[in-house]
Amino acid sequence: MRAFWAIIRKELLEFLRSYGLLIVVLYSFTLDVYIAGNGINLDARNVSVGIVDYSPGFISNKMLSDLHYPQFQEPVFFASQERLNLAIRNKEIMVGIVFESDFEKRFHTGNNPVLNLLLDSTASAQSYLALNYIQHILMRFQDTLSLAPIEIQIHKLFNPNTSYSYFMALAELLSIITLLAVILTAAVFVKEKENGTWDIMLLMPTDAKAVILAKSLSQVIIVMIGTIVCVGTVLFGIFDLPINGSLAAFMLLTFFYAFTSAGIGLFIASVARNIMQIAQLSVIIMMPLIFLSGAWTPVYAMHPILEYLSIISPLRYYIQGSESIFFRGTALIDLWEYFAGVIVLGGVMFWYGFRKIGKLF
Amino acid sequence: MNRLQVRKVSVTYRKKTGLKPVNLEATGGEIIGLIGADGAGKSSLMHAIAGAKSFDGEIEFDNHIYRSPKEAEKIKGSIGFMPQGLGLILYEHLGVNEHLDFFADIRGIKQDSAFRAYRERLLHMAGLSDFTERQAGRLSGGMMQKLALICTLLHRPKLLLLDEPTTGVDPLSRMELWDILDDIIAKEKTLCIVSTAYMAEATQMDRVLLFEDGEIIDKGKAGELVEKVRPFSYEAAPEPFENSITIHGYTYSLKPLELKSKEPTLDAVFFINFLKKYGPIPEISIVHKDRDEDVPATIMEAKGLTKRFGKFVANDYIDMELNRGEILGLLGANGAGKTTFIKMLLGLLPIDEGELFLLGKRIESPDDRQMLKAKIGYVSQHFALYKGMSVRENLRYFANMHHIESRRALDLIKEHANTLGFYTYLDALPTDLPLGINQRFSVAAAIMHEPVVLFLDEPTSGVDVVARAIFWEMLQRLKKEWNIAILVTTHYMGEAEFCDRVVLLRDGKKIADDTVKNLYQIHPDAHNFEDIFLDYYNLN
Repeated sequence: MRAFWAIIRKELLEFLRSYGLLIVVLYSFTLDVYIAGNGINLDARNVSVGIVDYSPGFISNKMLSDLHYPQFQEPVFFASQERLNLAIRNKEIMVGIVFESDFEKRFHTGNNPVLNLLLDSTASAQSYLALNYIQHILMRFQDTLSLAPIEIQIHKLFNPNTSYSYFMALAELLSIITLLAVILTAAVFVKEKENGTWDIMLLMPTDAKAVILAKSLSQVIIVMIGTIVCVGTVLFGIFDLPINGSLAAFMLLTFFYAFTSAGIGLFIASVARNIMQIAQLSVIIMMPLIFLSGAWTPVYAMHPILEYLSIISPLRYYIQGSESIFFRGTALIDLWEYFAGVIVLGGVMFWYGFRKIGKLF
Repeated sequence: MNRLQVRKVSVTYRKKTGLKPVNLEATGGEIIGLIGADGAGKSSLMHAIAGAKSFDGEIEFDNHIYRSPKEAEKIKGSIGFMPQGLGLILYEHLGVNEHLDFFADIRGIKQDSAFRAYRERLLHMAGLSDFTERQAGRLSGGMMQKLALICTLLHRPKLLLLDEPTTGVDPLSRMELWDILDDIIAKEKTLCIVSTAYMAEATQMDRVLLFEDGEIIDKGKAGELVEKVRPFSYEAAPEPFENSITIHGYTYSLKPLELKSKEPTLDAVFFINFLKKYGPIPEISIVHKDRDEDVPATIMEAKGLTKRFGKFVANDYIDMELNRGEILGLLGANGAGKTTFIKMLLGLLPIDEGELFLLGKRIESPDDRQMLKAKIGYVSQHFALYKGMSVRENLRYFANMHHIESRRALDLIKEHANTLGFYTYLDALPTDLPLGINQRFSVAAAIMHEPVVLFLDEPTSGVDVVARAIFWEMLQRLKKEWNIAILVTTHYMGEAEFCDRVVLLRDGKKIADDTVKNLYQIHPDAHNFEDIFLDYYNLN
């Protein structure tokens, strides 16, 4: 037992003294999550609009008055469609609107008025959203003429402001936890290989199991502290993320999940000979896990085979469980599914990694 | 003429001074030797001259003056630089011929008949003519170093900078390396600057520069340097005198003594310098330990130990015995199989064939070793310790790992630090310490749990002469006072003198195994151990 704590103390001390690593970990848990929550914005913002107006201009101007800040820039008028095309090609304009000369006439007579839209689809998400806005504006415009038969009432659940920051920041934190738990755990073993202390470690009259467990636990502790810092400062402090469930449940789920990732780290450490190889291997192993977890694409939108495979990604249960705790406020008892997923898969992964590295002792 | 002038050149690394301002003047055809410990400034000077490191001051070669690596660019065509490390400039998966082609191409050498003849001559001198297709990774250490040398010589450099080209290379290959160099220098009038860890090589050079702590402490012909310290060297005194150093059969003193004087070697220069600078060597002793008498007389017995890596046989049926109260030297060049053998003894590598008995017990499974771990001490190559922790923290960690009770551990750390002389460094990080201190503190870490056998892998590599002498003194005391068995590997053949018995390995085979006394009796005409081992190398 004394050796067990000695190892944990030593690993934490070494971590605190390697300033480079300390800064990377601190950055990941604070600034990186902040940037992800604040910087990655899929809203249409500041879209440049180019107009060619062949119509008399009464209706068209009314419509254009609805394209305003912050979604759109002041529309730019072009003399001909060729000019507009050129401007779009030169990336000066993202959305082009062309009013034909008979647009107004057809509009008033209800004879299928046609509005031509030109979109620069290289910025696909933005231009697609801009298209949505314009359609929305047109719909409202039609409302004023009481042409639309249906009024749509929208209720947004769990996230009334449809804030992206909430999701992006939380998803980034979960990814960071995964990545750091894997890399830090692999690094504490491989650093010994690199420094030549590996042999000395093996010759200590300490049980190999205790050594592996103590080393893994020390890195799980670091990840847990980082998580607390991140939730406290960035999620709650800056983004004012609501938590509807129990924070303790989230920390408990994170603790189990960190061991799962540490298991992957153990496996990598058993194969890698230096820090560089850890970086390469973790990318290769982590990518499919993250992809299958539903972090990027909802699980139900995947190919049936991939959907089936995603059952074995522990990250899937972790993400779904964490989102349930934060946004849905699911009670602890109803989280059993996620806990079971993380613990069972995590147990298998940690056991496998543990055995792999144990063979080197 | 190829004239080199180094004017007030100094090198600084981020925090540390690598080299204090140095002046040097030399002309073509000269061989200049740099000697001193690791980190004394030899490599810094070479890197500066080669234009591989920024420096302060000014260097002139071949009428070109340069003050920075950028300005050195124009003369790089006439420089050949071989950095330290066995086969460092080679590519593992390229063959011998492919190497020569590659280096000829990147140097832009015209491949005419004169070049082809020169190339053949180099290959022949290096003894590589029959191995032109072999990949560098499959060459022996000596062959690798010869290949690296002829690759460096390929563009007929006017200035040759070789950083420890012979360290860890077997004695025969070392002689061949020098033959190639002497031949080229005589014919091409190359100016050659070589650093070496072997004093015997330094004696053969035109001039030597002695480095210590980034300074040149003395320079001149080896003979002249030795002449200067002759008045201070005496036969070993039976009783220690005040302000003198008695070591390895010599007594050095600045004041005249009533002793017979003794023919000094280059080593004496370092001891005298140490005496002038710091006074006598601080007394080293060993923490007291009660002798345990129930330890068997034969600590380790290996019968036909064999290790193979694929087709390569690293250890070929080696028999060896290690007895209590004995220092056994395991000697051999790099790649001879010393480290592999130690790792098999320690269980860090599985044994492919043969039997191993430790403390009278046959070792068959890892479980047999678990309880023996508490009785074994091990100091690995390069004194591997945790860089992020201070000396004290490192020692506490090792004490905890050996289940030594906290209060006793603190006392032990203090005692070891006092007796081995690193008390003032207890709170420093290992990376900030001189190699000699690191060396003693890693021994402390290895003996805290009072083992009955100590394995040391290349403990003296790169350490300066004085620290090396202190280290061997310490091992002698440890042996005497604890009556433990010590197994030391080294590639310095000269260090065989300090062992009780030596085993010589070559290419994984044992070629000699005898006590030091017997070896001298069998080879009465040998001056030193280099000579004795050359005999064995020539025989096999």
